[in-house]
Amino acid sequence: MIGWLRHHKHALAAALRRLGAQALATCLTALAMGVAISLPSGLYLGLENLSRVAGELPAQPEISLFLDTGASAGQKQAIAARLRQPDIAQARFVPKDEALAALSASQDLTDITAGLMENPLPDAWVVRPRDASRASLVQLSGSLGKLSGVADTHLDSQWAERLQAALAIGRTVVWVLGGLFAIALIAISGNAIRAQVLARRDEILVSRLIGATDRHIRRPFLYLGALQGLFGGLAAGGVLAVAGTILREPVEHLATLYGSTFHLLPPDGAEIAAVLGLSALFGWLGAWLSVTRSLHRVETARWNH
Amino acid sequence: MISFNQVTKRYPGGHEALSSVSLTIEQGELLFLSGHSGAGKSTLLKLIAAIERPTSGVVSVSGQNISRLPRRAVPYLRRNIGLVFQDHKLLFDRSVIDNVVLPLDIAGLDRRESLKRARAVIDKVGLLNREKANPVSLSGGEQQRLCIARALVSRPALLLADEPTGNLDAGYAADIMAMFRDFHQVGTTLVIATHDERAITALGGRTLHLDHGKIEEISA
Repeated sequence: MIGWLRHHKHALAAALRRLGAQALATCLTALAMGVAISLPSGLYLGLENLSRVAGELPAQPEISLFLDTGASAGQKQAIAARLRQPDIAQARFVPKDEALAALSASQDLTDITAGLMENPLPDAWVVRPRDASRASLVQLSGSLGKLSGVADTHLDSQWAERLQAALAIGRTVVWVLGGLFAIALIAISGNAIRAQVLARRDEILVSRLIGATDRHIRRPFLYLGALQGLFGGLAAGGVLAVAGTILREPVEHLATLYGSTFHLLPPDGAEIAAVLGLSALFGWLGAWLSVTRSLHRVETARWNH
Repeated sequence: MISFNQVTKRYPGGHEALSSVSLTIEQGELLFLSGHSGAGKSTLLKLIAAIERPTSGVVSVSGQNISRLPRRAVPYLRRNIGLVFQDHKLLFDRSVIDNVVLPLDIAGLDRRESLKRARAVIDKVGLLNREKANPVSLSGGEQQRLCIARALVSRPALLLADEPTGNLDAGYAADIMAMFRDFHQVGTTLVIATHDERAITALGGRTLHLDHGKIEEISA
């Protein structure tokens, strides 16, 4: 057990020494990895921020029911009766005068509405259905639209839903990109480690001759790969921090134009830990693949004296 | 301790380095392998250390059948064998003492204990004043002694030496052979491949003469 720990301590120390001895190569590899990692994680961060905006929108879907301006009293009563049925959670009648008053007050359009000869707005119902699923919303909206005296229906949640759907696609893209760049990470790490294995060919052959196990020979290279991946993750953090600093001001400016106090949020601790952990894992994986392959090569091309 | 039973080694390409060799080496024995180059001396040593596997026949070391030894067991076999190479196989990216300490690092020994043992064995081969030097700066004889120190530091029961005095002048060669005699006297089994007849007569012991992969004669 103590011998095992000592082996790991030695391997880690050796890996750090090698990275330090080739500081420039280490930095370049870390930078290449950092750029690869920062693309999917940057997109993820952007989406998270966008989702936050979308999350502030009304989540409860509503159906607006606009009545025909010429709807008869009987038609209006039939509609009101329909809206008292159990599939409707809540229905609120908005008379056209109230709608006009609300419009002039809220949008500061008093000048325009004051100039109107007559109220162009229809009477309306704002309906909150009991079942908020997409299919039943569409169905209910359709059946309400067919009632006589109803001019038009409008699903208020539509654009929010479209945004959610777009965000869902965005998240899928993050996963796909993440997968691709994980492969890139494995390749970068594997390539760096392959060079290291070839550079240490003599040491590997001699170690093998004096009783080193495969695991003993592999261990420092695996640490090397994992550390290189970790540095790549840190470099990605740096890239994203710079990008965030550059973007903060324009984004906040845009938000003020919309009357919002929105600002970019940095990733939280768990997200940072996940990115660093995954980078180290993929670095390790690349090293493992590369060192296993290269060791085999080094061994088959061995002593021929 | 070591036995060969009808061992044949044929290399890819068809060259037969050993043909139906049978022999037994007792524990604590000092055995010389002689014969001109290409006679199969190196191959015989490589078979004992499982660097090569026999094409047919059985090689057994300390009761283990080397022909059937799984790959993962080979390192543990080698930890009990000290190997001295004609071309030394030293690592030039580290100091003399770090070369010697390598087998102990591999075995997972405590670093301080390792350094202590490495220093003791470096002292024995007469290189203590060069412990911090890079092996590149050592003479051929010093490099050979360093290689011997590395082979001995893990106190193996068996020492295999391939032309240990091959490139050395007579004075150095005699020094190294004297060291081998000392190890033999403390009970180490030694198998030394050499064509240095003077060394063989100086140390005594059994000599196995190989010719074209066959045992020609055994003289005591």
